Amino acid sequence: MINLNDAVLVIILLTILLSLASNRLLSLVKNMAIQGFMVSLIPLLLERHSSIGSGGLIFFQVMILIKAVLIPGLLYVALKRISIKREIEPIVGYHASLFAGLVIILLSIFITDKLHLSVPDGNEMLLTTAITTMSAGFFLMMSRRKAITQVIGYLMLENGIYLVGTALTKHSHTIYVVEFGVLLDLLVGVMIMGIIMHNINHAYDDIDTDRLNRLKD
Amino acid sequence: MLELLFLLPMIAGLAALFLPANFGRGLLIVAALFHFQLSIMAWMDKLPIYTADYFAKTPAGMLVLLVTSFIFLCISFYAVSYIRESKVENESVFVGCMLLFLGTMSMVTIADHPIVLWIAIEATTLVSAPLIFLHRSKEALEATWKYVLICSVGIALALLGCFFITLSVDIAEIDVPLTFSSLNLVAAQLDPLWLKVGFIFIIIGFGTKMGLAPMHTWLPDAHSEAPSPASALLSGALLNCAFLGVYRAHTLMHLAGLGDFSSNLLIGFGLLSMFVAGIFILRQADYKRMLAYSSIENMGIIAFGVGIGGFALYGAILHMIHHSLIKSSLFLSAGNILLGFQTKLVTELGCLVKYFPKTFFSFFAGFIGISGLPPFGIFISELFILIGAFQSGHPVFAMLFMFALLLVVAGAAQIVTDISFSENETSAIRGEESLLRTVPPYVLLLASIILCIWMPTEMYDTILNTIKTLGGTIHG
Repeated sequence: MINLNDAVLVIILLTILLSLASNRLLSLVKNMAIQGFMVSLIPLLLERHSSIGSGGLIFFQVMILIKAVLIPGLLYVALKRISIKREIEPIVGYHASLFAGLVIILLSIFITDKLHLSVPDGNEMLLTTAITTMSAGFFLMMSRRKAITQVIGYLMLENGIYLVGTALTKHSHTIYVVEFGVLLDLLVGVMIMGIIMHNINHAYDDIDTDRLNRLKD
Repeated sequence: MLELLFLLPMIAGLAALFLPANFGRGLLIVAALFHFQLSIMAWMDKLPIYTADYFAKTPAGMLVLLVTSFIFLCISFYAVSYIRESKVENESVFVGCMLLFLGTMSMVTIADHPIVLWIAIEATTLVSAPLIFLHRSKEALEATWKYVLICSVGIALALLGCFFITLSVDIAEIDVPLTFSSLNLVAAQLDPLWLKVGFIFIIIGFGTKMGLAPMHTWLPDAHSEAPSPASALLSGALLNCAFLGVYRAHTLMHLAGLGDFSSNLLIGFGLLSMFVAGIFILRQADYKRMLAYSSIENMGIIAFGVGIGGFALYGAILHMIHHSLIKSSLFLSAGNILLGFQTKLVTELGCLVKYFPKTFFSFFAGFIGISGLPPFGIFISELFILIGAFQSGHPVFAMLFMFALLLVVAGAAQIVTDISFSENETSAIRGEESLLRTVPPYVLLLASIILCIWMPTEMYDTILNTIKTLGGTIHG
């Protein structure tokens, strides 16, 4: 059980590194689908969650549906309508980003170690992955110019925060109605961002956020 | 039931999205009236709560709810006239999102579970985004993008803060339902370190939404590009809701004995916001942006007052109420100016007093109110905060506070007098001052004056109950 858990965490870390190194927007979206799926699997794999009732099972299915199918699907649709396929001229280059990703992983391990936190299951690897995912999401948002990559950065940040929540808090606090509300917000958020992105593309023939510079003081 | 407060506008909003446009306008006013009635009933304890795990009636929440509901009622009349006179393409989207916006804001005011509070605040961002994008200009597009992305990321951090607060409960090994009201009871036992970390994330997260500097960058854009009824709601109602999130967390910190830590953070963010607003408001070319910066300043004042505590806390709560009334009135007047002159640039405006006397009067009176002059309530609230700051031994902060106020008044005064009296050659004046558009700003201003002279006993008691938990008092 533990090994499977670690394997999933390693896959999440790999998706992060891949997203940092990839310049094709389509592969970024696919990456997010895999990451969303793996992140949704984590709570199921943790041993303390083995006593999940039927309500819980349905909830996790819904979560996999939203994180691994619906949200990447929305991004895919948004991408199809936009003629841009690649991220050209990122603010930080791909090799540098990849290197930054590795540094982020090291820092996360360091932070997890320093926190001296009694993680409920002693599962420190999970916390490390969570912090890495969050920081990498921030990094992606700041180092790219295209609107869609920034949305993907935001999603990665959300995934990371969800993992922190899973790693740190007890299962007894989980109320599925509440968790579902969070997911719904995320889904609608991505939908609205998709619509705005479509309009940006329509107005500027590109989704480069550098062109959004009319409002200044 | 208390849940109707948000269910009713949400259902009405969803219905309005699919109904024909003409029907929607009527629905907007009817729903606003019903919501106001429900709020009054909630005040009179006529609404039982069915889901006590997630929702509760708190004094602070009730205050914000009443203000929100009253402002929305005034704005709904204005909005009907506004839609008729400005070309709104997607009328059903406008009406639907306005109602959904009201619903999500009401949900914020009664939410008791930290994560439910978070869901409601994030939902306000999502349903108000289409409102900002209503006019479909490139500027509106940019403002909406910044608004959605910056606020979503900011609020995501607040979620992390909520998880840390949960962690502090787990570490202390207390078994209580995860709601603010039950956490407040056991606050002293919670783990202080993680509570502090949680508060930092929450103040950054909800502070982004509240417009505290340096996370305020989206606010001037969004508030100036949104259509005026939506700007009035964003400034008058939404900022209070975000403040409520910070306030709940601050109360928890205070009860846990970490009040100094959170107070200092609030004072710091408050003063910084006031200064940033003061600097950017000078020589501002766009009068709606000027109003937006003034909102940042006023949110700073509220954060400052809450941070100082005691006497100033009473002032801060009063300030929140009066700022909402006066600022939404100002945005509605600004909307009238925009409809009349078709420009947002101060340099192209002039002689408002000659062309639109009724609008001039409400705009100028609003300016007097927001500057903190009598007979409006902000005069009293700022005085309370100032006295509180001196009394609690913060003379330096009080001086800085006064200086920042001066900066903002100076900047705003120049713009307002330019618009009102300068002899600019203005073109493109059109339209009459229709009654439906001119009366709501007056009603809002009048409410501020009335509350200044005579405050209902229930309201006074509720304010006292609100500040009691934080050790606030009005007896020195």
